[in-house]
Amino acid sequence: MSSAVTRYHALFESLRSRRRRPDNPKGLDVFASLAKMKLRTRGVSLAWLRSEAEKVNTITPEIRSHSEAALNEIIRETRELFVRGRQDEQTVRRAFAIVREVARRDTGEEAYLVQLMGAMGLYHGRIVEMVTGEGKTLTGSLAAPLLAWHHRYLHIYTVNDYLAQRDADSRAGIYKRMGCDVGAIVQDMDEGQRFGVYAKPITYGTPKQITADWLRDQIRLGQNATPWSGRSLFTSRGGGQGPMIPGLRAALVDEADAVLIDEGVVPLIIARSRREDEMGQVYKDSTWIAKRLDEKVDYTIDHLRRRADLTRRGKHRMAEMAAGLEQPIWRAIRRAEELVRQALVARHCYLNGHQYQIVDGRIVIVDEYTGRFLQDRSWEHGLHQSVEAKENLEVTADRETLARMSFQRFFRSYPFLCGMTGTVADAAVEMEKVYQRPITVVPTNRPIARERWPTRVFRTREAKWNAIVESIEREHGARRPLLVGTRSIEASEFVGQRLTARGLPHRVLNANFDKDEADMVALAGKHNVITVATNMAGRGTDIKLDRESREAGGLHVILTEMHTARRIDRQFIGRAGRQGDPGSAQMFVSLEDEIVRLYAPKLATYVGGLGGGDELTGMAQKRAVALFELAQRRAQKRSRISRAEVLKQDDWIEQNLPGQ
Amino acid sequence: MNERPTFSPFWHRVRLMKPKLRPHVQITRQHYRGRRWHVVHDPTSNQFYRLNPIAYDFIGMLDGARDVETAWNASLQKFGDAAPTQNEIIQLIGQLYQSNLLSVDTSPETEQLLRRGRDRFKRKATAQAIGIMYLKIRAFNPDRILTACEPILRPILNRWGFLAWCILLLSALYAVLPHWDKLAADFSSDRIFDPQYLWLVPVAYVVTKGIHEFGHGVICKRNGGQVPEFGFMLLVMFPSPFVDASSAWAFPSKWQRVAVGAGGMIFELTVASLAAFVWVWTQNNGADNSVLCRLAFNVMLSSSFATVLFNANPLMRFDGYYILSDLLETPNLAQRSSKMLMQLVQKHIFRIKNLTPPTTQPGERWILIIYGILAGIYRVFLFFSITLFILGQFFALGLVLAVWTAAAWFILPVGKLIHWLATSGQIAEHRFRTIATTLGLVALAVVILGVIPMPDRRHGTGVVESVTRDTLHFGTEGFVVQVHKRPGERVREGDAIVTLESRELVERKRSVRSQLDEYLVLERDAISKDDPASAGMAIERIKVSQDNMMEIERRLGQLVVRATHDGVVAGSDPALRLGGFVKRGDPVCDIVDPSNIRVAATMDQRQAEWLFDRTAKNRPALECQVRLISDVNTVLNAERFDPPEAGNRQLPSAALGFSGGGSFETDNKDESGRVSKRPQFNVRIWMKEPEVMSAIVLPGERVKVRFKLPPRPLLSQWLDRLEREIQGRVHL
Repeated sequence: MSSAVTRYHALFESLRSRRRRPDNPKGLDVFASLAKMKLRTRGVSLAWLRSEAEKVNTITPEIRSHSEAALNEIIRETRELFVRGRQDEQTVRRAFAIVREVARRDTGEEAYLVQLMGAMGLYHGRIVEMVTGEGKTLTGSLAAPLLAWHHRYLHIYTVNDYLAQRDADSRAGIYKRMGCDVGAIVQDMDEGQRFGVYAKPITYGTPKQITADWLRDQIRLGQNATPWSGRSLFTSRGGGQGPMIPGLRAALVDEADAVLIDEGVVPLIIARSRREDEMGQVYKDSTWIAKRLDEKVDYTIDHLRRRADLTRRGKHRMAEMAAGLEQPIWRAIRRAEELVRQALVARHCYLNGHQYQIVDGRIVIVDEYTGRFLQDRSWEHGLHQSVEAKENLEVTADRETLARMSFQRFFRSYPFLCGMTGTVADAAVEMEKVYQRPITVVPTNRPIARERWPTRVFRTREAKWNAIVESIEREHGARRPLLVGTRSIEASEFVGQRLTARGLPHRVLNANFDKDEADMVALAGKHNVITVATNMAGRGTDIKLDRESREAGGLHVILTEMHTARRIDRQFIGRAGRQGDPGSAQMFVSLEDEIVRLYAPKLATYVGGLGGGDELTGMAQKRAVALFELAQRRAQKRSRISRAEVLKQDDWIEQNLPGQ
Repeated sequence: MNERPTFSPFWHRVRLMKPKLRPHVQITRQHYRGRRWHVVHDPTSNQFYRLNPIAYDFIGMLDGARDVETAWNASLQKFGDAAPTQNEIIQLIGQLYQSNLLSVDTSPETEQLLRRGRDRFKRKATAQAIGIMYLKIRAFNPDRILTACEPILRPILNRWGFLAWCILLLSALYAVLPHWDKLAADFSSDRIFDPQYLWLVPVAYVVTKGIHEFGHGVICKRNGGQVPEFGFMLLVMFPSPFVDASSAWAFPSKWQRVAVGAGGMIFELTVASLAAFVWVWTQNNGADNSVLCRLAFNVMLSSSFATVLFNANPLMRFDGYYILSDLLETPNLAQRSSKMLMQLVQKHIFRIKNLTPPTTQPGERWILIIYGILAGIYRVFLFFSITLFILGQFFALGLVLAVWTAAAWFILPVGKLIHWLATSGQIAEHRFRTIATTLGLVALAVVILGVIPMPDRRHGTGVVESVTRDTLHFGTEGFVVQVHKRPGERVREGDAIVTLESRELVERKRSVRSQLDEYLVLERDAISKDDPASAGMAIERIKVSQDNMMEIERRLGQLVVRATHDGVVAGSDPALRLGGFVKRGDPVCDIVDPSNIRVAATMDQRQAEWLFDRTAKNRPALECQVRLISDVNTVLNAERFDPPEAGNRQLPSAALGFSGGGSFETDNKDESGRVSKRPQFNVRIWMKEPEVMSAIVLPGERVKVRFKLPPRPLLSQWLDRLEREIQGRVHL
């Protein structure tokens, strides 16, 4: 009985959330709504948060003096107020004092003032920036029960399944005490389990999991617009389930910039293979034609935009070659050109070990920002098939999209959204514009003891790698733990080989070895350990130092390339010097690196032509660093534009097409 | 290169949809410049959508049973590369759905529908706010009236009716032509605004405009269209009726559409013709000042001139525009031409590639370009003239309107440009270059307009006058019998110019002489009789007679008018008076000294105020040149000029006034033709080489005067002028 009620409730809430359409202001309205948002949230300033947190501090001793039973009693009382929406400022302060005390009793961690401030910022719907390693997990768990009380369902987003499960387990004690059940959505759960977890007030999960579930719900709900018309979903013919997610009420996003900004551009797609598909041969043919065309003469490649253009001669040659092919598609000129261009793009712009990796005879996409495999994802519109044809793998069937949701749109569907991250200030404007969420930068609790060593710039890639290996050897000699960051899987393995050749013991952490991730991270802080990792080791990785390595000077982070997004670099560097630990970081770049080759080729050639040795020093180094920063800014701008473009398309579709 | 990627990531949103056109939607086939189009029209909401044949074929396949994907595949089979891409299909479905022309098998979402309505209202409100100079107020639905009237008029709404209309128009013109002078005189004497009959103006206006709109409506109805809306548009504060005849857009033949567009003018001109007959009748029957005459006059003018000036003007968005657009078979002429111009700029100045041009036909391309340029210029002109007009009438309101319209017409586009520069994806690659180009152009414009000094000239007209000028007057009365010299002829001092004859003087001389003789005899008698008293009396009389005699002699001598000094005869021609009787003191002509001449120039107050401002300080810097109207190539330099006399209404010469062929409006009440309507500035200009000038011109000749100010940037010149222009109209 109660289960039936729950299901009906989930259906009702789900439909309600689906009907909610976020506003998408255009033109000058953007500024108007921005101003409105600022005006609305102006009360929640840093100074106000601090004063509130201090007030919480003053009532903490009183709460602390309560016995366990008494504490439970006041929790019950306060919770009631929140559930009814009757909480006033006084109650909120009290609730924070309570949850702080509960956390202390449960985990032994006493929240600092800044953590309280961050938690209050979250409670007031802000995106809170806290420096990496300042204990965001605790901050989040202070705000979560209060939000769950008030908004009934709270989704807490983490960057990966491992973290979701870990946090859900480690915080369960606090939440239980506060009267909130908690669960985590992870990859291998079936629908029944998921349904159970979503019914809990606090649900941990990755954006991919929860968005995918939401999309599946939407597909299942189909055209039903009211709970009554959707009742057939509960019959055996309708699957008997109803939607899993009881609406989108409130979200707390950890690593908000990664989730809301970086991944905002890649939509989540639920697709299925087409049943009948004879396109396999077509992709092989297009790859065959692409191979026989000559670059520059027959086609030009724009690496930046990942597109190929056929020249007149190329078109002519393509037509000649296509004339001998059977499939009718080769008769349609435009479509044929599209195929060949796609094959060319697959050949030149998509490289094994960078954009994808071949695993068990399949193409697996590698996420640019996290360095992880994106299982079960494929590129759209035949690109995936073109890459498969290029690698001589079996060409899979084209997939057709059933539903699609960009994270930007998904997260805007939440009436309440807050988040925290270490590095959002770079994207503050975008965050405020797209999500209408203000940013609060919370100061650090302890000063950062990390040193940033000057960036070293080399003329050639070879020189850079040599210098990196030397540098690793030197720091290794000082018995410090080392974390070497690379941009691609290929590069991480390459560094591994170089180190092996030098006889340096090391571990390589990339998507190929993600099973060993937890072990490697646990070991990475030990003295004398060299870890070579892709961006996988960036976000959310907490590397704990042992005593010896702390004495040796803490973790040293070496970045072997500059990422297109500054935040990613900052995240990686943020692995060193956490919570007042000592540490250092240094970046190595070369003028042959992709980022300058793509985003500032002329300037790079100019800077390279200024003369000097293999390593640029003095003024030349300063100039080169400025050049790299410029290239990075350009890259960020490009992705910002493409995100805005995606959003615009999304909005157009949303407004102009009927249905979901 | 124009790319049309086949696939769209959003295909799944429409793939399985089974839409169909709403059952009441009508489709008509139209041809534009030899190409077939299909216009989808929803008569209930008056929404339109134009489909090309391939899209039409695609929409035709959507019958509510077939899904979009099936239809698309069929279209691909049929048209190959020409078939619409997925993106284009999504666009098409989205737009049709938005226009409420497409029904979809899903139940519509209330929120979406409500939002759609809200958005539509918002768009309307915004358009209204921007076009505040054309505020629209809806009144009622005139369909019933038109449905009732249309059958009555149907017999004449055809080509014979049109022919009859042409004849009516011509015969009205024919009737009016003999009274043309009277018409022109009434018009120029401002009889329209005679306070007594001022109320007739709005009455005539509203009645004729009502008939105008009725014309649109009836012809639209006649062709099977609908007219769901009648209302008033506040056109520059003046209410003018309008009807919504937009259902005409769906008419298959362009002549039908043109007829609807021209319907208003046809009806209005009919009224004008009838009014013309009435007016002519009143003229012929002496009912010259009756209300009927005035009414007919007002109706005739407001419905013919206003119609031709406003409605027929294709550069404004009135009837003429739609007629032109239909005649050229170029729909959406205005939007597309501004898009075309924008695109030319984007392509050639900003060097943006991959643009979709609004048209691919070369003929249409030129039409769009030319229309765009003309409309742009006209818009600026209209803005300034309307604004200045309103500023003159209601200052505060005018100012608000001016600012508002300036915002809508000039600031908004600039804002859009900035927005485009800042955010457009089109220029994402070269944003820096594009912004630099824009800034460069702006800088160039600023330099040319605001920095580089340009010659600043002001013009006026003047007459050559002599420094020494004597007006000769008749010294006595008499009949002119002989004219010796005429204007232009050189005379020496003492030369006779006119000879008068006065019989009276001769007679009087004779009678005085005989009297004198008589008194002399009397005197002699008295002396001989030694009668001193009589003698004294006679002597007295002789004295009086002698005085009389001398006076008569003197006047006789004055019968010949002689030049007082060397010079040239100028001014009025004495020969005109030949044989006529003149009174003493009447002017004969002027004698001017041609070797010593100057120019008396007159300038419009607005043109000349700067002279007044600056003469005190900057006079030496001003250059002044004089050109002859008879020979524009001759330029003469002035040496100096006197401080101008401001606010004078007396013209230096009648030749400068309207009546004398000049450019100054003269006061009708004044007979001399030397009093202007508005005060102006008179300047005396002294020539550098008067002898050179005197060799080629004669006093009295008209000249153009050009003042050269120190060069100033154009912008400051313009601002100056604008300021004067406003000051000239606004009485603060």
